[in-house]
Amino acid sequence: MIGAWRTLALDRTEGGYSVGAWRDFIVQGAAQGAIFAMIALGYSLVYGILRMINFAHGEVFMAGAFGSFFFADAYAQSGFLNRNPVMALAIVTAVAIGVSVGTGVLLERLAYRPLRNAPRLVPLITAIGASLFLQNAFRGFFGPQPYGYPKPEVLAGSITVLGVPVQKVQLLVLVVAVICMAVLQWFVSTTTTGRSMRAVAQDREIASLMGINVDRVIVITFAIGGVLAGIAAVLFSLTFEQVQFTMGFRPGIAAFTAAVLGGIGSIGGAALGGFVIGLLQAVGPPLLLTGFGIPSVFSLRDAFVFLVLVLVLVFRPGGLLGTGEAEKV
Amino acid sequence: MARRWIRIGVPAGIVTIFLALVGLIGGFTDVYLIGDQISFAALMMILPPFVAGLVAAAPRVEGGERLEKRIPEAAVTAAIAGAAAGATFALAVVLADWIGDERIRAVFINVTPQLMEFVTFGRATMVGALAVIAVSALAGLLGGVLRVAPASIRRPVTVAVIATLLFGFLQRVIPIALDQLSLERDWLYSPQFDGLTWIGAIVVAAVAAGISFLSTRFGTRLRGSVARIGGSGGPAISPVRLLAGAIALGLLIVAPLLLGSVISEVLGTVMVFALLGIGLNIVVGYAGLLDLGYVFFFALGAYSLALLTGATLNAFGIPPEPAISGSLNFYVAIPIVMVIAAASGLLVGAPVLRLRGDYLALVTLGLGEMVTVLVGSPWLVPLVGGPSGMRGITDAAIGGFGFRDPQRFYYLALAFVGLAAFMSWRLAASRIGRAWTAMREDEQTADAMGISTTRFKLLAFAIGGAIGSLGGALFAVKIGSLTPASFQVIVSIQVLGLVILGGMGSIPGVIVGALVLVGLPGLLREFEEYRFLAYGAAVVAIMVLRPQGLVPNVRRSRELQDEEQAQDEWAKAVEEGETPPDIASATGATT
Repeated sequence: MIGAWRTLALDRTEGGYSVGAWRDFIVQGAAQGAIFAMIALGYSLVYGILRMINFAHGEVFMAGAFGSFFFADAYAQSGFLNRNPVMALAIVTAVAIGVSVGTGVLLERLAYRPLRNAPRLVPLITAIGASLFLQNAFRGFFGPQPYGYPKPEVLAGSITVLGVPVQKVQLLVLVVAVICMAVLQWFVSTTTTGRSMRAVAQDREIASLMGINVDRVIVITFAIGGVLAGIAAVLFSLTFEQVQFTMGFRPGIAAFTAAVLGGIGSIGGAALGGFVIGLLQAVGPPLLLTGFGIPSVFSLRDAFVFLVLVLVLVFRPGGLLGTGEAEKV
Repeated sequence: MARRWIRIGVPAGIVTIFLALVGLIGGFTDVYLIGDQISFAALMMILPPFVAGLVAAAPRVEGGERLEKRIPEAAVTAAIAGAAAGATFALAVVLADWIGDERIRAVFINVTPQLMEFVTFGRATMVGALAVIAVSALAGLLGGVLRVAPASIRRPVTVAVIATLLFGFLQRVIPIALDQLSLERDWLYSPQFDGLTWIGAIVVAAVAAGISFLSTRFGTRLRGSVARIGGSGGPAISPVRLLAGAIALGLLIVAPLLLGSVISEVLGTVMVFALLGIGLNIVVGYAGLLDLGYVFFFALGAYSLALLTGATLNAFGIPPEPAISGSLNFYVAIPIVMVIAAASGLLVGAPVLRLRGDYLALVTLGLGEMVTVLVGSPWLVPLVGGPSGMRGITDAAIGGFGFRDPQRFYYLALAFVGLAAFMSWRLAASRIGRAWTAMREDEQTADAMGISTTRFKLLAFAIGGAIGSLGGALFAVKIGSLTPASFQVIVSIQVLGLVILGGMGSIPGVIVGALVLVGLPGLLREFEEYRFLAYGAAVVAIMVLRPQGLVPNVRRSRELQDEEQAQDEWAKAVEEGETPPDIASATGATT
């Protein structure tokens, strides 16, 4: 509070920010939050069904980004990306989805399914191992260096929406993310598969007695997480124009924080949490820290996310939209 | 259902393809283990079909009955499974050759001409592919025959193969020891190819097989008589384990003298990680709290020692004196560092430890990451030097006898490891240790039995933190300067990995884990890039296949095994379409 007041009291010459700068922070935060929300849904769905944190979901996201990169790069070189950006991006996204889904499903099959009935911490430790393994496998495949991700010319620059200048990429991110979440909400709430998912989330045993193929539902859940991660990966790569084998870790943690913040297991919660975390990352450090004269506040923004994670888990483990009190044991 | 050999062989072939793409074949064609024929690359190519053969020859379960395969049947099945693995890989090779390796290389950087030449044995692609299939079938055959061979043959052969490979891997270590002892080495290790000579390999294999054979033949009797010497009413550990421990301790003490300073350097790092492992083992292994932010204590120990003993900042443009600076002696500073760590463990733990297991893991991960971000941030430059770090850290000298030298440092670290191990061992056997066990197994019941779980959790957190900070302080002494690069989240994961590999709750396990996960990659520089890949694979494999670890804690392994057996029975019953027996009753039956 004091920090915010002191920041806003600062004059522009003393390192304060103009109104336009704040507006940019907010738009940027919302766009990033949309990406976090999509990754967060992957954590949330899996947690809802298996009561397990799929620590390697950040790597599922990274895998999609890498898979799509080679296609995007080839299309950029052949000129196809600029000639027909819609078609090219559709193919690139399809590839990203394919790779992410494949990685997620394989992960479930090889690392998590054998541990279905193991004590709770065992799958979590396995997931950490899998995350490390996947990261370094991709490092082995493609090398440790970052690759520059091509962006079609149509997406360069910015346009004005309702009087606010928005970068075109950010607009794309927001629109796609909102569509995805709406589709997911529809899918889970109305289709038969969606109903099976909810049934398994409530009680796996009873669901299987009702004739639901639990293993199939779990695979589908991982696949849906993969689809969202793949789309998020393309959006993320278009925004930051870079892919590297370590790129999954920080967004993964931010997305997980978002899922917890919103109330893990709930779709609306993950979406809300994603936007809150994105905004907090973009607006929080300059707003709360600049006033104290702390240099280069943005280097502290990940610390900010972790602080939020710790505070939420300690004071409201059920999350914003959760039941308030998480189970204790 | 697909044929069994396809289900086994094809995945094995895909594993080989994976190893090739990651670079574990193409990059290691000239790292020789035996002579100039068996290179590491060759091993990587043979291993998957070999394992496929092992699995294919395993007894079949039909109607709840185990049908052991006879040797000819097993051999044929195993050979076919091996060939299927080889065929899968060969197909990939032919395909790669058809597309052109330079085009694939634009994506998968490890598809080098060297790799292509190696996997085709330097012949034309089709001939090479057939050779791959033939070699794989042979490897599968060997695996299958080994699987069904009687135990009196299987055990010595397995031991011999593992010992030979181990000697091959330790090609930088054993020759140095032989030199130090002024023994002849050229018969054992080839001066030309670095690996074992064929004569050396045969001798190692024969000796290992002999020892294995004798120990199974006479071991039981020997063990019995040693146990009698120990007498009854002695300590809870069996004399055999005591003997093994004494030998291992002796090796740990003489190792740096035999191995020179380069390897002692690696061993020093191993000891630092062993210390961290002992600390984390208290938290994870004894108390059952998954802490993913252990690097917090590691960094805390290193930086607080640096500040207390008057290290200087590395950053430019500001005075080298940190904002807080003491000028204490190392041995005076150490207790203070540990008290600081324990206190911050309590402070951090108090709000966090109420949380359920997996949430706790993430909160600690967050705390660990915050430390990483903070020590590297420009904000804290006047205190800890930010990205450029600190230098001029004490060498822990006692009256002018410094410990920066790798060999001396090793002994300093070993002394602390010994101390921490002893403390942790006595703690585990104490009332506190029993309370931890009870709490880990069933928190609610423990609570009901009058154990204050919050207090004991905090205690575990504080003690674990204090030992971790000791590890950090020693690390600072070892390298003499600090940068944030040394305090990444990977440290937490590494320490967790070695605790898990060795076996949660087991102190010898921690040492073994540190030697394997930190020592082996440190000794083989070529593998530096692949160490974390191996870590990840090891953690997953241990959790899926052997959750009690390599050197299990006796009580812990009993718990895990029972649970596992119960699950296996359950899973098997499900697979066969029978009504699964109740897990609880199955557990009861095996306890």
